[in-house]
Amino acid sequence: MLGYILRRLLLVIPTFIGITIVVFTLTRMVPGGPIERMMTAYQMANQQQSSHHSIAGNTLSEDQLQQLKQYYGFDKPIIESYFEWLGKLIDFDLGQSTRYYEPVWDTIKERLPISIFYGVCTLIITYLIAIPLGIYKALKHGEAEDFATSIIVFLGYAIPNYIVAIALLYTFSFHFELFPMGGFSSDDFDYLPWQDQVWDILEHATLPLIAYISGSFAVMTFMVKNALLDNLSAQYVQTAISKGMTFKQAVFRHALRNSLIPLATHFGNNISVILMGSFLIETIFNIDGFGLLGYESLIERDYPVVMGILVISALLTLIGNILSDICVALADPRIRFGASNA
Amino acid sequence: MSHSPTLEFVLGLAMHRQIRSPWQKFKQLKRGYFSLLILAGLIVLSCFAELIFNSKALLVSYQDELYWPIFSDSIEGKQFGLDYEYETNYRQLKKTWQMDSSNHNNFVILPLVPFNPTEVDLLDGLYPPHAPSIENQHYLGTDTIGRDVLVRLVYGFRIAIFFAITLLIVEYLVGVFIGCFMGFLGGAFDLFFQRIIEVWSNIPFLYIVMIMSSLITPGFWSLVLIMALFGWMSMTWYMRSASYKEANRDYVLAAKMMGASNFRIIYKHIIPNSISTIITFIPFSVAGGITALTALDFLSFGLPAPAPSWGELLKQGVDNLDYPWIISSVVISLSFVLMLVTFIGEAIREIFDPKHKVYYE
Repeated sequence: MLGYILRRLLLVIPTFIGITIVVFTLTRMVPGGPIERMMTAYQMANQQQSSHHSIAGNTLSEDQLQQLKQYYGFDKPIIESYFEWLGKLIDFDLGQSTRYYEPVWDTIKERLPISIFYGVCTLIITYLIAIPLGIYKALKHGEAEDFATSIIVFLGYAIPNYIVAIALLYTFSFHFELFPMGGFSSDDFDYLPWQDQVWDILEHATLPLIAYISGSFAVMTFMVKNALLDNLSAQYVQTAISKGMTFKQAVFRHALRNSLIPLATHFGNNISVILMGSFLIETIFNIDGFGLLGYESLIERDYPVVMGILVISALLTLIGNILSDICVALADPRIRFGASNA
Repeated sequence: MSHSPTLEFVLGLAMHRQIRSPWQKFKQLKRGYFSLLILAGLIVLSCFAELIFNSKALLVSYQDELYWPIFSDSIEGKQFGLDYEYETNYRQLKKTWQMDSSNHNNFVILPLVPFNPTEVDLLDGLYPPHAPSIENQHYLGTDTIGRDVLVRLVYGFRIAIFFAITLLIVEYLVGVFIGCFMGFLGGAFDLFFQRIIEVWSNIPFLYIVMIMSSLITPGFWSLVLIMALFGWMSMTWYMRSASYKEANRDYVLAAKMMGASNFRIIYKHIIPNSISTIITFIPFSVAGGITALTALDFLSFGLPAPAPSWGELLKQGVDNLDYPWIISSVVISLSFVLMLVTFIGEAIREIFDPKHKVYYE
């Protein structure tokens, strides 16, 4: 098993290099990178300062430009600077943000707790809803209870989570004014006693969490339900019952365990969702997490930060995939490690 | 000829299956069937949107001569006795002729909603957005710069649905082609594409689109291409496993022995045998395409302004919650269309689902 995991981990390396090289190359091809952006900012500042002066002399000198390019590593060909970037990465140096003028890692670290909070909450609540609901729906398959819950599940499935987010924001924050309009916490958060702080965060988190969950619980519920239905009609359940087990025992001791295998394969995907959150939901609710950081960095062409986020998300996804496989093997003893993973 | 009872039974089953074709089964699933009818109706209607939602008149009768402005080049105001040389304002023309008591046989027939999607309607002395009103013929109001919301929804729907369908065709063509060869040929070809797919599907798609759209101003076709570039993997993966399974069946081996070429086996045997999987995925791909385009437009990285788009309306609605008609009309129509598509998808999935769930209690 250890050998298998090691082999999988080694395979992460070429894939990781593949992913980063594609995005790195693209960011280099884009005109109007950070240097151009800084030059325009510099020019505008100059013009505002001395609008009566002549235009000449407002641009950076060739020397300064060269220095800047060297500073950000734009003076070398793509492949060379890619490997330079990769070399720094091994020392955990993600470079400098061109927007905040601070190390990328510091920028990312600030957003990390927020994204982890939303990610972990979403994950836990999703499982807490999807597994019991899926079991319930499977046991009541075709009955009124199944149809009634299907409506909610179906709505969650058909409507993308950002539309749910917008609808929630309008209805509950704007129209009924029950919840704050966005953000992670109130402005006076630091001055509140701790009970109010907890309440404040919960108040801010309710709507985004509902939006996140609406996107993920539907698929999981269906998955649990269908898997359980498959297993219930399998012969081993029939055998268990004919050997004298009650139906309930057969479901919870045999069928359920097998039905959770597809959920385990899904677990790895959720790891990356934990941190990446959603571009859209974070922009809609103005939550200062990873998604919003990525969005803003892309708009501001702050490519060191973009690459930093990519590194973290890619590693998480790849490790998540391996974790999925391990989870599957733990849940299903029939699956052996080392078999071809094709 | 005498059949054994079992053979008769099997033949009977086969007959039964043939008679109940997938389409007939689909028709019996009322929810999916009616969703398909409604959606098809909406698509056909949107194809003729110019006849119903247009600022040009359907028909103008002036001095006993008939004009069809929608079907002709722009007609100057002078033509109708007005004092300007640019394109006629037909809404004004209609009003003028209606007010004019000496006018007897000149008339204008306007479309049902007399606005076009990029036209700014400044009502006298009022700043947009205008609330919905039947009197102004802005049935769902206007957006923040005075364009009719209903008209933009209709034209936006047409763009979104055809975008999704085009994207689907491109993705499926690539996916089916590469996927079949991967599963069928195996070996180095398969391994190579496996790696590519693993790398490709881990690249955050939104990043690429956002970086790309700062490189080039995306249009309909370039956006289809960019999105297809990052969306071909899932179909490829499904076709790979489908053809991998089929490739080891006896009939494929038989075909091979008879000298059929790889291409012929894929085209004549593997694809027809996996067509049900492909069809099952179509509605979900359409929903995905619409959602993705709307999300991109919402983030303003999609189709450039002033193209009518649902995402752009959504953005306006979120930024201007004080004007609820913008946000509610787009959220409701988007949800409605996605529901229709998903209902169709569920029905299709049901007809191709070989399992009929039975269990003991």
